[in-house]
Amino acid sequence: MSTKDDQNGTDGNRTEDRHGLNRRDFIKTSALGMAAVAAGPWIGGFARAQDTIRIGFPVPLTGPYGSEAKEQAACAQIAIDEFNAAGGLDGRMAELLVRDDKLKPGEAAKRTLELIEKDGVDFVCGSLSASVQLAVNSVATERGIIYNSISQSDTINEASDFTKYTFHEAMNPHMTAGTAGDYAFSRNQGKKVAYLVADYAYGHEMMRGFKVAGEQYGMETVAEVIHPLAAQDFSTFLPRIMAAGPDILCLCNFGLDQLNSIKQAHSFGMKESMQLVAPALLYNQRLAGGPDVFEGVVGAANYHWTLEDSVATAKTFNDKYRERHDGAPPSDYGAYGYAGVGALLQAAKDAGTTRSDPVVEAMEALKYNLYKGPEYFRQCDHQAVQSVLVVESKPASAMRNEYDVFEVKEVREASESMLRSCEALGHKA
Amino acid sequence: MATKNSRTERLATNDIPISGRRVAAALHAVARHRVLAVLVLLAIFPWLMPYKALAVDILLYGLFAMGFNLIFGYTGMLSFGHAAFFGTGAYATGIAMVHFNVPWFGAMALGLVIVAAVAAVIGLLATRTRGIYFAMVTLALGQLVYYAVYQMTELSGGENGLRGIQVSELSVLGVPVNLLDPVNKYYFMLAFIGPAIWVFSRILASPFGAVLEAIRENENRARACGYNVAQTKWVAFLLSGLFCGVAGSLSAIHLSIVPIESLHYHTSGLAVMMSLLGGMGTFFGPFIGAFVFLLLEDVITNITVHWQLFLGTLFVLFVLFLPKGIWGTLLERLGR
Repeated sequence: MSTKDDQNGTDGNRTEDRHGLNRRDFIKTSALGMAAVAAGPWIGGFARAQDTIRIGFPVPLTGPYGSEAKEQAACAQIAIDEFNAAGGLDGRMAELLVRDDKLKPGEAAKRTLELIEKDGVDFVCGSLSASVQLAVNSVATERGIIYNSISQSDTINEASDFTKYTFHEAMNPHMTAGTAGDYAFSRNQGKKVAYLVADYAYGHEMMRGFKVAGEQYGMETVAEVIHPLAAQDFSTFLPRIMAAGPDILCLCNFGLDQLNSIKQAHSFGMKESMQLVAPALLYNQRLAGGPDVFEGVVGAANYHWTLEDSVATAKTFNDKYRERHDGAPPSDYGAYGYAGVGALLQAAKDAGTTRSDPVVEAMEALKYNLYKGPEYFRQCDHQAVQSVLVVESKPASAMRNEYDVFEVKEVREASESMLRSCEALGHKA
Repeated sequence: MATKNSRTERLATNDIPISGRRVAAALHAVARHRVLAVLVLLAIFPWLMPYKALAVDILLYGLFAMGFNLIFGYTGMLSFGHAAFFGTGAYATGIAMVHFNVPWFGAMALGLVIVAAVAAVIGLLATRTRGIYFAMVTLALGQLVYYAVYQMTELSGGENGLRGIQVSELSVLGVPVNLLDPVNKYYFMLAFIGPAIWVFSRILASPFGAVLEAIRENENRARACGYNVAQTKWVAFLLSGLFCGVAGSLSAIHLSIVPIESLHYHTSGLAVMMSLLGGMGTFFGPFIGAFVFLLLEDVITNITVHWQLFLGTLFVLFVLFLPKGIWGTLLERLGR
């Protein structure tokens, strides 16, 4: 018997499925289906329209900063839609490509390579960690792609990491910790300062900013407690701070770490004996933590939606956001996403092209007011010079509505004096 | 005639359809010329991927997992500290280029010397132990390297990672090659990884490779046969570390940064996962594992933020139903 017969024999014996579709056909069909789904990413590369303006947006959708990252992406999309509704760049529409960088610099570098090689992005904006933005900056600018960072870092301003394609829309720890520190230290609440520091670059940069601000007031450091990133339990760290008996506690951490440390400080009754200061007091974390936990905590912020009472662009931005999010106003970090993408698109429009070099020139010349009042990029390090808000968390009784969480105590107007000097950063004057 | 009859009989009773047998024959040929087969596949590989950087990534992690597999799959020792070699290779190469202005080739060579030193020391301490103790000692020593580099902020950039490793153009026999072009970069990487694969294959085929498998199967018997087990393990560890070091060194050039996570035990875990997924103790397995893992991760993260759920489930399914991994199971099915 030949093998062919053997084959036929088995074929002949095969029973039909009761539903008229036999097993092999089913497997074949589903395999085809799966292949089609799996082929998506390959086909996507070819099917794209050639003249769309693409902005890559790597942010940590997964991980401890997920809620801030989603906000950033949602707000960036508003900037894209506004640009498109206004006719784009001579009819060229913009598109936002959001990618998850998982809060890891290596992953972010790979995602940025993907955005550049596969999607052919014109600009990159985004990231939410010092180390991640430095990685994205390195990959994007080496290839001559403009990167506008919307996350805090001091290092990105320094000459060693700066390139002509590097821009920094977010504030930096020197500005925020400097402003929050200056405000808290100037109120004569005592000279003893303790620091609770998340053990990563941003945490240490914030502490440095506070210390610089404290010099002129003669502040004395009584404790520096370092905690690992994404710590759940602060009960081993806080007693060490309480034992040192500070007048002011500076919380040099971010995201969930900020929420958890303030929550536990609150339950330990630490707010009775010391003033809590956070360099970037976060709107999202305050919403999650509630008014009692945060009451009386002061800090700096790039934005709070109540700015709309005095700034027209804030009102416009808030209204657009409210329209899409059932009346909820945008968050501070979300606003960075809006401004970061907005500034890039504005510059592209001014330059009349998306080619990097003319757009860099347009960015350098740009005077913009997108959401919080006037801003511009400083020549030497492309840092966005902008106002810094000093905010204090309101008690429940003083809130107008559930989103009215912070009282804006001061708006420190945009000034280069808040930044480290170009020489100190290593730039040629 | 008698032989022919018995042959037909065997075929007739054999379940495998004719196409399957052809595949088996092809695979047999592939197995005989495995290096050539891998190289042919890798030569066209970037065009089969959604984008070239992913192909480079698979290449690098494939080599990393392959190096790891020498100690895990072939010698039977589960190490949780191989990120130390990948990361040291990357950092040493990067630091030499960024802080000491060493040209890329010298920096890579220097990187390998340093990896060899680190692997020699870790190997000396770790290969004295066995089983779970070996896993724990390698994990601890790996983390030691992680924290040492983390604290060397001046050199390594600490938490911010090392930046500015820029090899944008180099000259091959006088012809300038732009490494920012993804295709050039892929073949640049392949120019190192190809020979590494060949060397790896030679090691496995050598008497030394046979001793490794003997140790895996029965350490006491290998010792009774007169082999110096302790020394063989140490040399295997050193070689394994070197392969991982090459992968790390190339990854520094690929990404132009070295993130601190490259030294983290998660990276060690990645090598374990890729080896298991592809098939431990098989030549192609680690590459297949790296390919499946990275491709799925890439595709799934673009669809959902819950990518870990999918990859985790997949991993559990593989461990339950394909304990020999993808390539290992395939070989077993066809080898019947």
